[in-house]
Amino acid sequence: MKRYLETGNFAITEGAILAGCRLFAGYPITPATEIAEAMSINLPRVGGYYVQAEDECAAMHMAVGAASGGLKTMTATSGPGFILYADPYGWAIGCEIPIVVLNSQRVGPVSGITGAPGQGEFYNSRYPTQGGNYETIVLAPNSAQEAMELTIEAFYLSERFRTPVTVLADQLITDGLEDISVPETDEEKEAMGLRFAEREFHKGPEFYPPTDEIDVPPVVLGKNTGAMCSDWTPTEEGYDIETVEAHHKHSYRMIYKIRNNKDIITRYETLFVDDDPDIIAVSYGTPSRSVKTAVKKAREKGLKIGMIRPISLWPFPDELFSQKTKYLVVELDYDGQMVREVKRAAPGGSEIHFFGKCGELPTVVEMHETFDKLLNNEPLRPEGWEKEAW
Amino acid sequence: MDKLARKYLRARKIPSTACSGCGLGQCHKALVKALADLDYEVDDIIWGTSIGCSGRQTFATWNGDNFAGTHGRVYPIARGLRIAMPDDMKIILTVGDGDAFGIGFNHVLHSARTNTQMTVLVCDNLGYQSTGGQFGWTTPPGIVTDSSPYGMSEPNWVQPDMDVLKILKEAGATFLARHVSMDGAALVETLKKAVQNNGFSLVHTVFPCTTNFAKNALGSRNAVNIFNWIKDRAAPLGEETEDTIWRTGVYHDASNSRPEFSQALKKQVSDIQRRFQDEGSH
Repeated sequence: MKRYLETGNFAITEGAILAGCRLFAGYPITPATEIAEAMSINLPRVGGYYVQAEDECAAMHMAVGAASGGLKTMTATSGPGFILYADPYGWAIGCEIPIVVLNSQRVGPVSGITGAPGQGEFYNSRYPTQGGNYETIVLAPNSAQEAMELTIEAFYLSERFRTPVTVLADQLITDGLEDISVPETDEEKEAMGLRFAEREFHKGPEFYPPTDEIDVPPVVLGKNTGAMCSDWTPTEEGYDIETVEAHHKHSYRMIYKIRNNKDIITRYETLFVDDDPDIIAVSYGTPSRSVKTAVKKAREKGLKIGMIRPISLWPFPDELFSQKTKYLVVELDYDGQMVREVKRAAPGGSEIHFFGKCGELPTVVEMHETFDKLLNNEPLRPEGWEKEAW
Repeated sequence: MDKLARKYLRARKIPSTACSGCGLGQCHKALVKALADLDYEVDDIIWGTSIGCSGRQTFATWNGDNFAGTHGRVYPIARGLRIAMPDDMKIILTVGDGDAFGIGFNHVLHSARTNTQMTVLVCDNLGYQSTGGQFGWTTPPGIVTDSSPYGMSEPNWVQPDMDVLKILKEAGATFLARHVSMDGAALVETLKKAVQNNGFSLVHTVFPCTTNFAKNALGSRNAVNIFNWIKDRAAPLGEETEDTIWRTGVYHDASNSRPEFSQALKKQVSDIQRRFQDEGSH
């Protein structure tokens, strides 16, 4: 095991290279630039390629293009670059090409605050391209160590599901310095629960079966299989066609290969949820760390408060929200995004509350004040807000 | 299907779904003929396409490996693919004028800068014809289209003083040429040179659209009218007249004069890898 005191950006590159990433396409953007820099140093040492593109749209296209030629590839950005991924993200979904995308969320919309954490791309990560008719896989770490491990998991899932997987981090994870353990031996990898999948290639001649099957390898160009790799609605052979019947089969595959195999994807952390808690705090990413401390301290004071941290955000883990109680959803945005999914997933009669902050983490004191208000049935009034929207 | 088509193209897609009288087939056939003359086999080529008339009608026609990119983005896909695919295969792209000179132009410039091996055949039907016939970046002055109903008032990129091929030459392209689709054998010879350049080649070829361009510009869908209209306005370089819009021939041939992008990158990576293996450090 190698130990480092390093940034999440560094940890992500270590994870990617361990997972077999051999091409990274970058475009500088705060706070993900250091991933590109570390890749440009480390990839050539293992025979991999760092390429830099004219914009994020081209960067992800280069990464997906190289993936369609058989390499494991990755790209990384922040919000303003993530929206420029819309074209190539859709291309990868439609062609069913594996690739890993990292988004280090900052404060938006648009340029916003570059060097501070946000969580404004919760829904954007679910709908990274237009057109619908697809499911997406999104994993959200809350530490540098977990960012490394989930990058490896993202490569694993992208291969098995033939689809892009997004690691949705934030500025604190990617810029923050933390203790990182990088496994070296197979035993160490196994002890950490890491999963790996090799790239194989689809031998054709048909495109992909019109079923929810996973573990069907992706089309790879340059293997002389007569591959037809396109974002047009395909026939079962891969020819472009404009019929509703063909598109229904294509959509079924893109949606249900993920929905019907959700158990392979779902990850979460729960704390004190088994004794019918009065409040369950819900948070993902870095705010979950101060929320967790607040929940533990509240328990020490005798308050019945629990916590749910979704790690796989999409498909959204509805099944975690089976208890009828008060939910407090804590996010790094003011508009409230994940709270809408919790409201949808929670049983009728549950109370759904929202605590939003942006650019900095909620404090333990703020969490305790909020728990007290909810326990006393007092309304939450975010500072300067007319009322709580939920 | 003729002998050429049987070997290189897919029966499912030939004849294509292009409109009756469309000149795209002339561009397509010239390219396949050039590949045949050079004795390429189906397995030697990966054929990429964009969207619009030129991309859609040529997608999955090649009897080997095919891909179709999103609007204007087939060039960065090709740049990534070029690194991953076997060195001894070639990338051929058939794209339209809107794709290459409009939405994808920034990517074309950077493909030229890096001298990435790709032979880009820009099949130019003088505007956006698959969407009904709007003006584009090569539509001649004064021409009526669906979005220039009072006549095309903007300058275009085939004017002698602002030719898109000049921009691409300055951007680093190593082979550049212009033709009209009825150039036949001359177009085939140019394409053979383009494909043999181990770098970025672009051949701009104007072809007639009978359905939308001709209907708007000439008031007629008669294929003979638009074929003659284009032919009369084309002349080989050095033989231009006052009426010439498209000067045809090879504009710039610096074939194999600069390192190819993916091969230069692979060489650098292999040098770095060797150095660090020798030093045994990470």
